[in-house]
Amino acid sequence: MIQAEHLTKEYKRVVRREGFLGSVRTLFSAQYETIPAVNDISFRIDEGELVGYIGPNGAGKSTSIKMLCGILVPTSGRVEVNGLIPHKERMKNTRQIGAVFGQKTQLWWDVPVIESLRLFRDIYKVPEAQYKHNLNMFNDLLGLHEFQNTPVRQLSLGQRLRADMAAALLHNPRLLFLDEPMIGVDVVAKEKLRNFIHEINRDQKVTILLTTHDMVDIEKVCSRIMIIDHGRIVYDGSLAQIRNQYGKQRTLVVEFEDDVPDFSAPNAVLKKSEGHKKWFAFNRFETSPSTLIADITSRYPILDLAVEEPEIEEIVRTIYQGKPEALATETK
Amino acid sequence: MKTFWAFARQNFHATAVYRLDFWLRVASTPILMYGMRWLWVTLYTQRPGAFGVSMQQMVTYAVLSIAIENLFYTGPLYYIARQVKSGAIDSDLLRPLDFHFHMLARSTGEMFFRIIVIALPAMLVGYFLLDLQLPATLQTGFMFVVALLLGYLVNFHLDFILGTISTVTLDIHSIDWAFQATSRFFSGRFVPLWLFPGALGILANILPFRSIFSTPLSIYAGVLKEDAMLQALGFQLLWLMLLLMLSRWLWGRVQMRIVSQGG
Repeated sequence: MIQAEHLTKEYKRVVRREGFLGSVRTLFSAQYETIPAVNDISFRIDEGELVGYIGPNGAGKSTSIKMLCGILVPTSGRVEVNGLIPHKERMKNTRQIGAVFGQKTQLWWDVPVIESLRLFRDIYKVPEAQYKHNLNMFNDLLGLHEFQNTPVRQLSLGQRLRADMAAALLHNPRLLFLDEPMIGVDVVAKEKLRNFIHEINRDQKVTILLTTHDMVDIEKVCSRIMIIDHGRIVYDGSLAQIRNQYGKQRTLVVEFEDDVPDFSAPNAVLKKSEGHKKWFAFNRFETSPSTLIADITSRYPILDLAVEEPEIEEIVRTIYQGKPEALATETK
Repeated sequence: MKTFWAFARQNFHATAVYRLDFWLRVASTPILMYGMRWLWVTLYTQRPGAFGVSMQQMVTYAVLSIAIENLFYTGPLYYIARQVKSGAIDSDLLRPLDFHFHMLARSTGEMFFRIIVIALPAMLVGYFLLDLQLPATLQTGFMFVVALLLGYLVNFHLDFILGTISTVTLDIHSIDWAFQATSRFFSGRFVPLWLFPGALGILANILPFRSIFSTPLSIYAGVLKEDAMLQALGFQLLWLMLLLMLSRWLWGRVQMRIVSQGG
């Protein structure tokens, strides 16, 4: 469905010189610097996949999505979307994709939502039957009818994003790009949107690339994640795999009956100590929790204990910080 | 065609939001029409025969110019400037629409809307209250509509070109101001071009602006007839072709810039 090979995008920016004389000089002879926004990335997304595309701000997520949409020309490399080269066949490509950018609406600000949808119907030449069918679906799944006659500027953020989602799917695209589609949305609306994304992927086999900063989104809907940082893809694989690969660390939380002094157990590091509670980090491949528990209970009486998995968020944070080994080696 | 109507329909909705703005426009048109009529009647009373045409023709020309002027304030200049500056141009490029065609559909939709809600009512007011004559023959009326459409298209493309240029200069207000002043003057919006002396008259005859007001109004008022009328229509068509090509070429370059630099 999507194939990117050595895709690179560099931006040219004028280097501003400091001070008044500097800006005058810039007027006459500008110096440019090249900023690589996306740096030699290759990936492949198959039909029907739901891929989470994550990375810190400025990592190159939006730039790569824009290239897939055909509204940005790559500096080098190759990209193909369902057999089309997006920037060369932009208009043809736009018919097979839908896009939601959470940061800005694509609907007309002053007119009721339903009018924007009617205009999209005419622009995309959506057949009447399909239009009606989709509208019913949006009513069921997104509650569109609740606010379809309200102008976009009077919608709440959650409603606006639902309306944007409807607009992006009106022409039955095979592929959907969601660039932070749930930004700033409350938990209830978020859950609705997540379910919706999940459903259109499952029932209509729409291939989806989802950008988000919320790891809960990723855990709930995505089967695969790609992590991009500094314009490079630093991880591409399934969620289970990333847990296996980076999530070697487990934490044992123990609550003791009495105050106990800080101590370290074999192959486990004391990470935190709070009243009667202590947190021990250990590598699950080197230490079995049962030995660890046996060791600790033999020393002090305990009230309660639990083994915690690392949050996906923590794994991703370590990857962003460029030390994915950290999680695995910390306990040594 | 359906796209044009779709945009016209959008305009009905957008206008419903800014009702005050709309009603001010509607209300100010007859006042201006009355002002123009009063001006020319006064001038004719002072110097009858000094203006080359009959007073009726002149009043018709002047009153009609106000009735139709709102059709020309539908250009895409501000839209283009705003979209490019804010980056919202991305969502325009995400549609299966050629941008130039999109702008034409948008403007034309708005023009249709204004014909119905402003120009036609204003013409009725003019006809019943302000001595606006009907065109001499049905054919004259038809030619007026053709010339008006061509004038609209010339104006649209001039506006489109300015909008395109403004994405590079990032300044619209001064450009727009200079353009409006030049355009109104040389289009015969205030003073009919046949009253322009010597070199000024020649200049006005070469520039594209006369297509906008002068040609359709002169045809309607019966000042331009037969060969002169066909020549004027040919002149409109010629400029339209030139401006159309220039528009597409310029926008092609700007769009290339946007898609290669990311706005």
